[in-house]
Amino acid sequence: MTEAILEVTNLRKHYTSTRGLFSRGSAPVKAVDDVSFSIAPGEVLGLVGESGSGKSTVGRTVLRLHEPTSGTIRFGGEDITKAPAGRMRELRREMQIVFQDPFGSLNPRSRVSEIIGEALDLLGSLPRDQKRDRVVDLLQQVGLSGDHLRRFPHEFSGGQRQRLGIARALAVRPKLIVADEPVAALDVSIQAQIMNLLVDLQREIGVAMLFISHDLGLVEFIADRVMVMYLGRIVEVAPARDIYANPRHPYTKALLSAAPVADPRLAKRRERILLQGELPSPANPPSGCTFRTRCPFALPECAGERPAYRKVADQHFHACIRDDIAGGEEVREVMALAT
Amino acid sequence: MIKHTTLIFAALFLTTIVLLAVAAPMLPLVDPVKMDILGRMAGPSLAHPLGQDEYGRDVLSRIAFGARASLGVALTGAILAALVGVTLGLVGAYFQGWAEQATMRPLDVILSFPPMLLALLAVTLMGPGVQTLSVILALLFAPTYARVTFGEVLTVRNQEYIEAAKALGHRPTRILARTILPNVAGPILVQFSLVVAAGIVLESGLSFLGLGVVPPTPSWGLMVRGARPFMEANPLGLIWPCVALVLTVFSINRICDAMRDLFDPKASAAVLPVSRLLAGTGIGRSRARPAAPAAFDGTLLDIRHLSTEISTPRGTIRAIDGVSLQVKPGEAVALVGESGSGKSMTGLSVMQLLPRKVGRIADGEVWYASRDGQRTDLAHVPANLFRRFRGREMAMVFQEPMASLNPVYTVGFQLIEALTAHGQMTKRDAWDGARRMLERVGIPDPERRLNEYPHQLSGGMRQRVAIAIALCGDPSLIIADEPTTALDVTIQAQILDLLEEIQAAAGIGLVFITHNLGVVAEIADRVVVMYCGQVIEEGPVDDIFHNPRHPYTRGLLASVPRPEDMAGQHKRLSSIPGTVPSPLALPPGCRFAPRCDHATSACVVAVPELEAVSANQNTRCIRWKEI
Repeated sequence: MTEAILEVTNLRKHYTSTRGLFSRGSAPVKAVDDVSFSIAPGEVLGLVGESGSGKSTVGRTVLRLHEPTSGTIRFGGEDITKAPAGRMRELRREMQIVFQDPFGSLNPRSRVSEIIGEALDLLGSLPRDQKRDRVVDLLQQVGLSGDHLRRFPHEFSGGQRQRLGIARALAVRPKLIVADEPVAALDVSIQAQIMNLLVDLQREIGVAMLFISHDLGLVEFIADRVMVMYLGRIVEVAPARDIYANPRHPYTKALLSAAPVADPRLAKRRERILLQGELPSPANPPSGCTFRTRCPFALPECAGERPAYRKVADQHFHACIRDDIAGGEEVREVMALAT
Repeated sequence: MIKHTTLIFAALFLTTIVLLAVAAPMLPLVDPVKMDILGRMAGPSLAHPLGQDEYGRDVLSRIAFGARASLGVALTGAILAALVGVTLGLVGAYFQGWAEQATMRPLDVILSFPPMLLALLAVTLMGPGVQTLSVILALLFAPTYARVTFGEVLTVRNQEYIEAAKALGHRPTRILARTILPNVAGPILVQFSLVVAAGIVLESGLSFLGLGVVPPTPSWGLMVRGARPFMEANPLGLIWPCVALVLTVFSINRICDAMRDLFDPKASAAVLPVSRLLAGTGIGRSRARPAAPAAFDGTLLDIRHLSTEISTPRGTIRAIDGVSLQVKPGEAVALVGESGSGKSMTGLSVMQLLPRKVGRIADGEVWYASRDGQRTDLAHVPANLFRRFRGREMAMVFQEPMASLNPVYTVGFQLIEALTAHGQMTKRDAWDGARRMLERVGIPDPERRLNEYPHQLSGGMRQRVAIAIALCGDPSLIIADEPTTALDVTIQAQILDLLEEIQAAAGIGLVFITHNLGVVAEIADRVVVMYCGQVIEEGPVDDIFHNPRHPYTRGLLASVPRPEDMAGQHKRLSSIPGTVPSPLALPPGCRFAPRCDHATSACVVAVPELEAVSANQNTRCIRWKEI
């Protein structure tokens, strides 16, 4: 296997709440709790989870937009966990982020030419007309045109703004893009346009991508491999086709069965695994397997140790001790997950 | 056009004053310090257009030269204060931590002193004079700038475009100056205008006390001070400097307001006439009221050709245009469409919950069959009588339950309120009733939950409470507007099951408004697809999903990722090109034509009619037979 573009080992991100005068002793919120994974150059890794699972925190922590509490992040072989601010600024040009909210992620006071031009400036200054040409190129690449140069973000529709966000990310020719729910705020018909754009661009320039979403269908569509997160931990990771055809972890199964299917005949026929209750607080997660409080297959032993990962097939791992249901062989090496 | 008149006046006045101040030494004015004892307190004359003061000095020339001192002090003071304050505020709020302590705390110390005391102290140390005054102003007003900036930056710094700038690898200085500063400029400009005004007043005050500008140098404050003892004999001497002060302060405020709007790219679009907002509220229902359809034909809700208009600053929008749909008891009808399709407006129109003043039903009828068999046209029920229907006959569930639950009351209180709104009952009964409602919507440990506040519940629980409240009046119709959109899939599945169960048990008619086709497939019996305010297709759920006739319905269905689209081979979602047209500029003819692959020249001629495809399926496409 080629060397990974991004390699994350034992990543933790804990938030301590400092609100209130006397709350110093409150437990930290374990938004990300010991997560390891890697992304190969040109690979699309999907990250699925519900709100509160920590998936967005993973995205921002690997870019060090939020500082990790512990663990290591290697980007292109270089340990960037502790990289100084100056080095980080250089590296950020090679790793970009596309946000969910097409309204909040563009500076409302800047024109399109400035929003994208600013990003271009980071690669070194260009003569005025060359810069303009390059901006127009980028706009065309994402399906907009040079007519849009002088406009402000609020003059665009949601889908067009998301195109602008993508153009801005592409301007610095990144090697990795973190796409954090890039289409969640868009209408279905526009979602499809943006998804196609992402797939095309990803293929064209071979950029690696961490695609974060709560929508299993979209992740299945775009990702090569899929990770499922629950309460700060990865419960299952597998090649996309594998995980949908053959989910092992009870949470993955429940998630897949809960996702509505746009087919009324199928919807009426199938049996759903209905999960009881809701996500526990990440400030006070259950012991052992964090999913056990909602798991229909939980045993008393699930409350014990944190479950070790088991390997069921090539690249397919999960963290459930019910070997009778989920199967697989226990693995000790954390980094085995990455391959 | 009052807005512009005052602005033009303000600009003219300020320019005049500034020019007067700058050019005062070059103008053929009388020497402002030259006394003329004989002309003491003389009224206006040709030689002295504004009269003479208590020493016989020319008032006009003193106003002009006084503007130099007054404006000079106020402007330098305000600019100095802005430079210091804004920088400290930006740095403090952006970096936080120790930077916040280092920048904001010293300013708090300054704020804790009475301003006059501080001014006295500075004057004692530095001696009176124009420079001292500027420094004092800067010192006094820097903290207010810093506070304003600090607060604004705190809200802006968490915006994603700041993170995007960081992610691009910009330096903090550049992010501060180029990205954040323009976004906080509005309030700072307003602050600037206030400080300049306050500065002029403060200068006058201090000079009046003898701590500011040293006589005989003229300043407006000194003029007031000089004229005060003689104000009965010579009121004009007091009035002139005061008029200059008031008009200057006003002009500066007005211009800064205009500048703030100018810097906000969004504001420029809104400067269009708003007069239409006021036009036609409740007028225009000229059509004769049709008689109620004779027999009860089994429909619970029968919407006929309903049109709703919304006035916006840019013109009136027909948010829904001739929508007809029927709901039978126990039937779930899904209203599907993208944003702007009018699906939510349809629900709000039926419930008479359109935004006040701007929204109104322009046309059509909404027949509703009450439990007693009576049929009423809800579109023509006056607002004060409508209360009879809300809650008891029909209820609404919204997307964001936090918006429909009152955050300051407990769940129990709100449920009891909903229960007692429709009939008297004892406290005990009400409490039991509330508990039963929570049990009915599957909330574990209802006794405890009754005493909790909405914010203590999770999103899914809140939505259950909202449904419980909707059920309190035992309605026959529930309109649910995207009730699961804000929820996670596993919670969404729970809520959908709950709604289905309740609906089946009580025979409630359900109008389910959503954009999610998966949800539609799960819950709906019949589907109504909307686009740009019109129904473009309707039919039983199976027919809509498996035999869609309208190209838009097809496109929408094809946009949902399916197993066939996946992995390897082609990896392509079929998408609908373009975007939904603006409701202010709807295309002629078929509204979907500009985005339709099958559009022909015939499509743009007239809006197609809803045609029957089969006994229960209708579509609004002139080419449905061919495609």
